Amino acid sequence: MNSVIRHCLTGLAFWFAATSGVCADDMDDAFFEKRIRPVLAETCFRCHGGQKTSGRLRVDSAESLSKGGETGPALVSGQPGESLLLKAIRREEGVSAMPPDKPLPPAVIADFETWIKAGAKWPAKVVAFRSEQHWAFIAPKAVWPPRGSAAAAHPIDRFLNSSERGADKRTLIRRVTFDLLGLPPSPDEVAEFLADESPTAFERVVERLLASPHYGEKWARHWLDVVRYADTAGETADFPAPHAWRYRNYVINAFNSDKPYDEFIREQVAGDLIAGHVENVSHERYAELITATGYLSIARRFGFDLDADHFLTIDDTVDVLGKSVLGLSIGCARCHDHKYDPISAADYYGLYGIFESTRYPFPGCEKIKAPRDMVPLLAPSEMERFVKPHQQRLADVDAELKRLNDGLAGLQQQLKEAFVQNARVLTQGEFDDGGSQEMAGPALEHIEIKRGEMLQLLILPRANHGADSTLVELEIADVRAADRRWNVTRDVVDDFLAGNPHADRYGNKATWFFLDSRNGPALLREAVRDLEQNVGLNSWRAGDTPSAWVNANDAPLKVWTTLPPKTFYLHPAPNGPVALGWFSPIEGTVRVSGRVSDAHRGGGDGIAWRLELIAADVSARLMRSIESAPRLAELNRQRTELLAFAPKVELAYAVAEGPSHDTRIHLRGDPKSLGDAVPRRFLSVLGGQTVPPDSGSGRLQLAEWLTSRDNPLTARVMVNRIWKHHFGTGLVTTPNDFGTRGELPMHPELLDWLAVRFLESGWSMKAMHRLIVSSEAYLAWPSSAGGGQATRRRLSAEELHDAILAVSGDLDRSPGESHPFPDEKTWGFTQHSPFAAVYEHDRRSVYLMLQRIKRHPLFALFDGPDTAASTPDRFTTTVPTQALFFLNDPFVHAKSESLARRLQSLSEEQRFDRVFARLFSRPVTSDERDAARQFLSDYQRDLADVPEAERPVQAWAAWLRVLLSSNEFLYVD
Amino acid sequence: MCRQPILSSRRGALQSAVAGSLLWPGIVSQLLADDSAADPLASRPAHHAAKAKNVIFLFMSGGVSHVDTFDPKPKLHADVGKQVVLDHPETRNRPGYEKLFLKRPQWEFRPHGECGTEVSALFPHVAECIDDIALIRSLHCDHSNHYNATLGMHTGSFNQARPSIGSWVSYGLGSPNNNLPSFMVIAPHSPYAGGQVWASDFLPGSHQGTLVVPGAEPMRNIKPRVSSSRQQRELAALAAMNRRHLAERGNDPALAARIRSFETAFGMQIAAPEAFDLSKETDETLALYGLPRGSTSGFAWQCLAARRLIERGVRFVELIDTGSSGNWDSHGDMLDHVRLAKNVDQPIAGLIKDLKRRGMLDDTLIVWTTEFGRTPFNNLADAKGREHHSWAFSSWLAGGGTKGGTVYGSTDEHGIRVAENGVHVNDFHATILHLLGLDHTRLTYRYAGRDYRLTDVAGRVVTEVLA
Repeated sequence: MNSVIRHCLTGLAFWFAATSGVCADDMDDAFFEKRIRPVLAETCFRCHGGQKTSGRLRVDSAESLSKGGETGPALVSGQPGESLLLKAIRREEGVSAMPPDKPLPPAVIADFETWIKAGAKWPAKVVAFRSEQHWAFIAPKAVWPPRGSAAAAHPIDRFLNSSERGADKRTLIRRVTFDLLGLPPSPDEVAEFLADESPTAFERVVERLLASPHYGEKWARHWLDVVRYADTAGETADFPAPHAWRYRNYVINAFNSDKPYDEFIREQVAGDLIAGHVENVSHERYAELITATGYLSIARRFGFDLDADHFLTIDDTVDVLGKSVLGLSIGCARCHDHKYDPISAADYYGLYGIFESTRYPFPGCEKIKAPRDMVPLLAPSEMERFVKPHQQRLADVDAELKRLNDGLAGLQQQLKEAFVQNARVLTQGEFDDGGSQEMAGPALEHIEIKRGEMLQLLILPRANHGADSTLVELEIADVRAADRRWNVTRDVVDDFLAGNPHADRYGNKATWFFLDSRNGPALLREAVRDLEQNVGLNSWRAGDTPSAWVNANDAPLKVWTTLPPKTFYLHPAPNGPVALGWFSPIEGTVRVSGRVSDAHRGGGDGIAWRLELIAADVSARLMRSIESAPRLAELNRQRTELLAFAPKVELAYAVAEGPSHDTRIHLRGDPKSLGDAVPRRFLSVLGGQTVPPDSGSGRLQLAEWLTSRDNPLTARVMVNRIWKHHFGTGLVTTPNDFGTRGELPMHPELLDWLAVRFLESGWSMKAMHRLIVSSEAYLAWPSSAGGGQATRRRLSAEELHDAILAVSGDLDRSPGESHPFPDEKTWGFTQHSPFAAVYEHDRRSVYLMLQRIKRHPLFALFDGPDTAASTPDRFTTTVPTQALFFLNDPFVHAKSESLARRLQSLSEEQRFDRVFARLFSRPVTSDERDAARQFLSDYQRDLADVPEAERPVQAWAAWLRVLLSSNEFLYVD
Repeated sequence: MCRQPILSSRRGALQSAVAGSLLWPGIVSQLLADDSAADPLASRPAHHAAKAKNVIFLFMSGGVSHVDTFDPKPKLHADVGKQVVLDHPETRNRPGYEKLFLKRPQWEFRPHGECGTEVSALFPHVAECIDDIALIRSLHCDHSNHYNATLGMHTGSFNQARPSIGSWVSYGLGSPNNNLPSFMVIAPHSPYAGGQVWASDFLPGSHQGTLVVPGAEPMRNIKPRVSSSRQQRELAALAAMNRRHLAERGNDPALAARIRSFETAFGMQIAAPEAFDLSKETDETLALYGLPRGSTSGFAWQCLAARRLIERGVRFVELIDTGSSGNWDSHGDMLDHVRLAKNVDQPIAGLIKDLKRRGMLDDTLIVWTTEFGRTPFNNLADAKGREHHSWAFSSWLAGGGTKGGTVYGSTDEHGIRVAENGVHVNDFHATILHLLGLDHTRLTYRYAGRDYRLTDVAGRVVTEVLA
């Protein structure tokens, strides 16, 4: 045991040596906040904190502890053995054991020992932050660019004082096309630009690109990275969010239409509430505004039970809101006041309350699989005009149906009893799959029957699960009048749906009854004509089964089995029989003959049947039960029609208002440990405005606060992102963190000037592109210095995918919409068997389905989007598994071969020109042509195993793979 | 008994892959000159001297019952059927679980080795190696859901996605071999929480786990689709193009690094299948693992492949025995543990013995763990299964500077709660990093304005299990 303690102490000593490294203070503070303060607060403060001074000891500051209480100092810094506090919690002899009721766990005691040994540091209360000191909280000032050298005419260049060598035109068009569209320029576009010698040639290219629908597909992706877009929810089974794509397309459209950035933010935070304030909003506008709030609803879901872990989803929302719009890590204030930025826990829960008062759509999860709370994309006025009347009609039909059915239920019970008590079995049979039996026997020759009694043929499911299509032939003859015969086939086949009950040939309106006999006799009410588009296949049924149907055709009908012409069938349900009833219109003696046959061979089910006489006058009750039949049939028909022609309301994965309330601070981020309620409000450092009473969640106000022209952050953060995606690095190199932990801007005046220009342009993102790409800095030959100079960059995962498709000629340029997710009724995803799929297509990769717990393989390989957290900046890693993709991936092979085949119709000369123009936007050199010819002929010689006609294609495909694998293809200068 | 280094250095690897080929005649020397530039996987010095250089992380998916394997509880035998009153996360408010009764372990425990540590009859082969094992009987974690606990055991974070421990080790130490990735995961099926288990998350993508699925093509795109001679022609043409492109661009190191990645990919196409080709292993070795000759799947295959990857300089190899279903999650019947233990027992013991006799156990740390234990109780005393139990469970370490034959920590008499010396997952991770020479408080990465660690703000090195 001693040795264990010795080991333990050595370990702790080591641990402390280690923590005194780079971030010693942070780590000590963190250790205290996580391991010590909570214990003191929860266990000790009730007797030794604030005004409570049991034993004259307070434990709410280091000073109090060192001063101690009645028995002396409770804590001797660095001396665990001397510290009464430790002795007390260790319950050593001669010291009052603390806490008195139950000992602390050993791990906690070890923490205290650790803490005291390390000096018992009590973190200084975070000093009140003086926001005026940090640049990012001061509104940007419009400083006119300095007068630099005369050569630098562009304001951006005057700030940067840059004088870089300009890049050539081919480099420029390739650069700007990839930067704005994420695609390579076409050979024609390059040629046109080269031929245009006017001073505005580049401007014209930029205008063409900004007007292209592909611009939004490229730039939406930058925003989708920041808002960690995904098509699944991310909880334990990663349920699909099939409507999320609408938000993705909303972002694409917003960029394409140059939606002012402030409006873009307002719509994403409060589109639904804005829609409520617009008079006569059009259907399209309404749908757009609702869809925009996908920004909030795509927040990650957590756990097995979303409702239980919803607080984590709100945390995720607040975190992403802070990073994406304000460039602030608000999320840090979830457990405690932010240690570096002026954001308090009260600030955090002020925002939290706004989102806690918001209803998020429920994508489904392991515990509750059915999605709910999707938002209809129909304005309330339209809802009123189209949907409401329809819903009213449906409700009326349902109400009447219910009234009739309730009345029938009582009658049904009486009938059931009457049938059970008076049934006399005449004959019965049972046979195996594919068989057939005749109804015969003396009992069928002379059946005494009274008017109002019934003969009933029941077809029963067999003992296992069997229930099958049963061909029924039945004839009832009046013994006294030999020509009076009731043949079911003859009577009902031609006009089967005329009624149930069905008339006979003698004018008796209710003779044949088609009955659901699972729970006493009940008429099959649902009439289906031309079942599954099979003309002449007419059915009475209750759901799929039980059912009665006919083939009314003069020819056999091939369905799940072949039905001979003019035939009548019954099909029981797995849980009970179906019956054919003959309601006697006569008083006398009848003879019954017939046959029951399995009409659907296979499945090993077979058939059981029974013929009964219901020897009681059930007529009155039966007739009463059918009085309402025509009305019921009519109502059912109306209902089917109403459902079939229901106005189709599309749904969005969007938020709505929930019950508004303020939230209580979660102490240390623990939702079970609640502190004071804080009013719903904005961050104090940005004004601290509170949500006025009776104004809902406060999202509408939040949207205004975020985009106020006085907000020092919003414009700066976005212009920095735009800059970053043109130059590789931002002016602030931490685009999601403008707080004190972020990097200082490299050219603060330039950033401010851009931010002011952004506001002056009406928050136009396209105006920012025009401004930036027209600077000499952007037009320069790339340098590796970064920070305001053009840089060489690798294509992103999406650009790589799209560029390969584009140059191969296989790119489908149409916009993508929804994904082929399985039908939501079939969702049974669990963490054992989570949703997982890859849906490939030849559209642009922004339209690929992105999951949260499993990455698309291409994106995993090439530093693609992270769907779990806001990503302002992607990595560029270079690993050999990426090279394996170019060497061996079926996609690369298929697309090179596809291009090789397309080139077959051209002359060899044309092919070289075309390929270099497409892939590299430049002509082929004579050296390259020679090398290629050499390669192609050597390679073909190596293809002895390939049919001769195929060899040129294979060799060309190989050469194209080489070009696609080249650095010239993957990097943009 | 001396360990034969197959590839002694990164540079050696490069030379051997390129030597004698018709590729890259001009640039090789130039590239070798700036070998470490822009190479995220270059070997990096540890924080302190350490014995362990590599890790084989054995993850038993589904939750292995501690009281039926490595944590003997005679009192649980004695008290079978006694009612216990607990507010347990898995049984709270669960219909039918209003009352909880102690449930008897179904396998006998016996002392093994010189240390005399008791192991149950489920693991007879591992028990033979007990003198090489440092057993921890007091592990605990924060969540009793598979997804969260699996994420936590791999990333230290039970809710949010974070980098995997393998990614952290790759980031901290780099890799001595560049023909293979630094972090590889051999898993027959997807685990709980999917690819997040081996993701690098905010660490650079070069540190993510490379997935190996036992079978015909264990690694994505590892099989050349054209013959070697054709591929070499393609690569030579590519090298010529890239060389010209590089020269025109001032030898930009990013471009040079990518040129080199094709060389290593070419090498990887040979090195990886070679590593997964067990045909040169002796019958005796195969028998040690219990692997039939010619078999290309099963945990024995995974274990032997892991040894071969470690021999070739892969820094961190994780083996997942099953996946998110058909695993140790024996709610229905504890007897299912028999099948699962049989699947891994001999292969694991074979791995320990094989590493030991090759002198590799000294610098290879074997970690055996699972996401949580199983309840020592259930709603019926004779219930066949056990539920999830995050309060206490067992895991062990072997080799790589650990103290074999030790037992650290204990649970109460019924195996319900930690009785002494609790080891949280953060502590477990801190200990693993320490054994590799990494200080868990200094292995940080700045992301979103904060320095992140595998152990967040916690973690204590369990020095008691160090040799």
